Amino acid sequence: MRLPSFLLPALLSLAALALPAAAAPSAVVTTEQVRAELVAHAPQGIAPGQPVWLGLAIEHAPHWHTYWKNPGDSGLPTTLQWTLPAGFAAGEIDWPTPQRLPIGPLLNFGYEGRLLLPVKLEIPAGFAAETLPLRLRAEWLVCKDVCIPESGEFALDLPVRAAWAPHAAAFEAAFAARPTVLAQARASAKLESGALVVTVDGLPGDWAGQALAFFPETAGVIENAAPPRATWQGAQWRVDVPLSAQRSESPAEMAAVLVPAGSKVGGQIKFAIAGPWPAPGADAAAQASAAPAALAPGASLGLAAALLFALVGGALLNLMPCVFPVLSLKVLGFAAHAQDRRALAAGGLAYTAGVVLSFVALAAALLALRAGGEQLGWGFQLQSPAVIAVLAALFTLIGLNLAGVFEFGSVLPSGLASLRAHHPLVDALLTGVLAVAVASPCTAPFMGASLGLAVTLPTAEALAIFAALGLGMALPYLAASLWPGLARALPRPGAWMARFKVLMAFPMFATVVWLVWVIGQQTGIDGAAALLATLLALAFIAWALGTPGIGRVARTALGVLGGLGLAAALAWMLPAFDAAAAPQRAEANSAWQPWSVERVAEARAAGRPVFVDFTAAWCVTCQVNKRTTLASAEVMADFAARNVLLLRADWTRRDAAITAELARFGRSGVPVYALYGIDPNRPATILSEILSVSEVRDALSRL
Amino acid sequence: MAPMFTRTLSAAALLLAALPALAAVSVGQAAPAFSATDTAGKTVSLADYKGKTVVLEWVNPGCPYVQKHYNSANMPATQKSATAKGVVWLAVNSTHAGASDYMAPAALAGWMKDKGGAPTATLMDTDGRIGRAYGARTTPHMYVIDPAGKLAYVGAIDSKASANPADIKTATNYVDKALVETLAGKPVSEATTRAYGCSVKYSD
Repeated sequence: MRLPSFLLPALLSLAALALPAAAAPSAVVTTEQVRAELVAHAPQGIAPGQPVWLGLAIEHAPHWHTYWKNPGDSGLPTTLQWTLPAGFAAGEIDWPTPQRLPIGPLLNFGYEGRLLLPVKLEIPAGFAAETLPLRLRAEWLVCKDVCIPESGEFALDLPVRAAWAPHAAAFEAAFAARPTVLAQARASAKLESGALVVTVDGLPGDWAGQALAFFPETAGVIENAAPPRATWQGAQWRVDVPLSAQRSESPAEMAAVLVPAGSKVGGQIKFAIAGPWPAPGADAAAQASAAPAALAPGASLGLAAALLFALVGGALLNLMPCVFPVLSLKVLGFAAHAQDRRALAAGGLAYTAGVVLSFVALAAALLALRAGGEQLGWGFQLQSPAVIAVLAALFTLIGLNLAGVFEFGSVLPSGLASLRAHHPLVDALLTGVLAVAVASPCTAPFMGASLGLAVTLPTAEALAIFAALGLGMALPYLAASLWPGLARALPRPGAWMARFKVLMAFPMFATVVWLVWVIGQQTGIDGAAALLATLLALAFIAWALGTPGIGRVARTALGVLGGLGLAAALAWMLPAFDAAAAPQRAEANSAWQPWSVERVAEARAAGRPVFVDFTAAWCVTCQVNKRTTLASAEVMADFAARNVLLLRADWTRRDAAITAELARFGRSGVPVYALYGIDPNRPATILSEILSVSEVRDALSRL
Repeated sequence: MAPMFTRTLSAAALLLAALPALAAVSVGQAAPAFSATDTAGKTVSLADYKGKTVVLEWVNPGCPYVQKHYNSANMPATQKSATAKGVVWLAVNSTHAGASDYMAPAALAGWMKDKGGAPTATLMDTDGRIGRAYGARTTPHMYVIDPAGKLAYVGAIDSKASANPADIKTATNYVDKALVETLAGKPVSEATTRAYGCSVKYSD
C-alpha cells in the first residue's frame, strides 16, 4: 500500500502553506524539509552608502535540495518578493555557486545543506528612522525524490542605529561561495554540429589542465545531463556542450559558471553566441534540409527574392550620393573617347569583377567576425569611432578631389600612376573596388532586408546574396561598356561636366558633417574637434601635394608641415577614441533616463508602465523620431499623465546588454520602440520604426 | 509509408538502446513508436492512431505540479476539449516501481477517475522506455504528435511555471494552442517551450 507515502508530502505542503497564515509573520519559517530565516547584515549600521545585505538562510533536511537560478531539467528557482519602506530597493539574488544534482537520467542545479541567498539593499538618502521594517514573501521548491512547493511570509524589524551582524559568518560564507567574475577571461561561443562550442582564454593559471564543470545561467538551452566534451589547448579551454533536442531558448549571449573539480566556488564567464541557432534537434549537416516548419515560408521566399532584391538594390546604389560622382564621371569619360569596343568590354568586365569580389570579401569579413563570436548587427561598422573617422577622411578627400583642390593623379606615386596607365584592366578593377568602398555606408538603409537575411543564412547563400548585390551595382557600367550605343544616349560631354563634378562635392561634405556629429555622440566634443583637426591636416596635405604649380622644394616643405600637423591631430584624436564610452549625458532638463534591464524590471514590479527608445546617433530614422514624435508636447503630456517611465537605450557604441535585448525582440538593429504595460506578465508592445504621434498616443490609451 | 518506416526504425532503435541518457526527440522529427499496457491491462500502440493527432501527457499523481493542474480541473478540461475534437490523449506514467510515489495501475486509474480526468488511455511506462525515447523530464511534460506522425509540440502545459493554481487563469495553455494550430493544418507557433514541474522518477 503506497498511498500514505505520497499523500504525506502533500499534506505536509498543505501544512506548510497554512502555517504562515496561522501565526503572525516572524523571521523564521520551519517546515519538515527546511528551516528558512530572514537575516540581515549591516556591520556599519543602516545608513545611506553603507553596505547592507539581506538574505534568506535555508537549512535543508538531509538529502533535500532547493534550486539555483537555472534549475536544470526540472525544479524552479527560489523567488523573493520584498515589501520595503519607500525608497528602499532590494537587488537580485547573488546566487552562490550551485552543485550538480543528478536524479536518474536527469540533472538539476541547486543546493543541499546550509544555504544563504544574499540580496543587496539600497538605502535612500536622508533615511532616518529608529527601525527598518523588512517584509518578505519567499517561494521555494524543495525536492528529494518528491517535490514540495513551499512558501513563507517573513518579518524582521532591524534597529537602525547600531551595527547588526549576528549572521556575519553565514554572509561571509555566502560571499565566498559566490562565483568570482573572471575579469581576465575572454570567452566566445559558436554553434556547431548540434553543440554549443565555448572557447575561453585567460582563465586562472591554476585551473589549467583541470576538469571544469559547466553551469549555464540560462535554462532551456543545453542537454544538461549529457556529458560535455572539454579539452585544454595550452591555456585555452574549449567545451562542446550538446544542445537540448527540446531547446526552448535562443539567446544572443549567455553567462555560465565554471567550477574546477574539487572546488566549491566557481568563476563566471559571459559570451556572445554567433548565430544562427539551428532548428531544434537539427545538427549542422541536417540543418539545410530540415529547415524548421515555422521558418519555411520566410526562407523559401528568402533566397530567390533576396537575390533579385540584391540585384535591383545593387543597381540603385549607383544613384547614391556616395557612388554617383565617382561613377558618372567614369562612364561619361569613356563615352567621350573610347573607340576600341573590345578594350571597353574587357574594362567593363574587369570593373564588374572588382565590384563583385569586393562585396564578397566584405561579406566574408562580416560572416567571419560573427563566426568568431563578435556580436554584430547591421550598422556594426558605424559603432566604432575609428571606422567613422576613416570614412570621414575618405569622404573629405573625395569631396576635395571633386571640388578640384587636388588631382588623384598627382598624389599617387608615379609607379602606381604608370601602372594605371599601362594596365587599364587593373585600373578598372581598382575602380570597382573603390566604388564598393565608398558605397558601403549607403547600403544599410536600402539593403536592410537582404542584408539582414544574409547574415542569418548559411555561408554559401549569404555570399551569393552579396555577389548579386555587387553584380547589380556593376550592371549599368557593364551594359554601357558592352553596348556603347547606350553610353551615347548619355548627355554629351562638355564644360557642364566640370561644374557637375564640383556640385557633387557638396553631398560628400554633407556626409562628413553627419559623421563628425556621430563621432561627437560617441566620444564627446573633444573627439569631434580632434577629428575636424585631422580632416583639416589631411586637406592641407592633399592641397600641398596635389595642387598643380607648386615648386618641388615648397611642395616638400608644405608636405612635411602637413605631415606634422596630421601627426599632432592624430595624437589628439586616437586617445579620445580609446576613452571609455562617453558617459550617458545626463539630460538634465529631460524626462529620459538611461536604460537598463534592472530599471525596466523594477518599474514593472512597481506597476509602472515603461517606454524604451532603442536608438543610436548614427541611425537617422531614430534621430528624426526623437526630434519629432518623441519631442511632441502631446506625446510627452500623455506619458506624464500615465506616469510612464521613459528610458533611452543608446546603441551608438557597442553595448552587449542592448544587443541582447534587441535580439529578445527579434531585432538586430535600431530603432525599436517598446512599450510595457502595467501587467508585468504581458510582453512589451513594439511600435513601428517610423513612429507617429497618433500611434504612440493610441498605444498609450490602450495601456 | 515514410513515417511508418521511420517509426519502425525508431522502434528498433528503442529496443536496441539500453541508453542511460535521454534520447530526446525534437519538433519536426518522427515521433518514436511505442507499445505499452494501460491501467486497464490493454495494449496500446502509437501505431493504432495513425493519421490522428495524439497528445502525450507525462503524469505522476504524487507531484504537486500535476496536482495543480488536476485539482483545478485544468488538465481534465484540456483533455475533454481535445478528445471532443477527435484528438487521442495518452497519459503516460514513467514513475519506476521503487519510487515512493509509484502508483499501481488500479490505484492510478482510480485517481484519474476521482479527478475527473478523461484521457483516451493512461499508460504504464514503469521501465521508463517511452519517457526516455521522448526525453520527458518533468511531470507534467506535454507532447503533441500531428497526423503525419511528426512531433508538433513539446514542452509545458502552460506559460506560468509555478505551483500556484491561481496562475492558471492568466497563463497561456500551450497544448490548447498547439492543438488548434495542428488541427487547422498550421505549424505550431510556439513549438518548443520549457516544461516545468517535478522530475520524472526514472529508475537509475
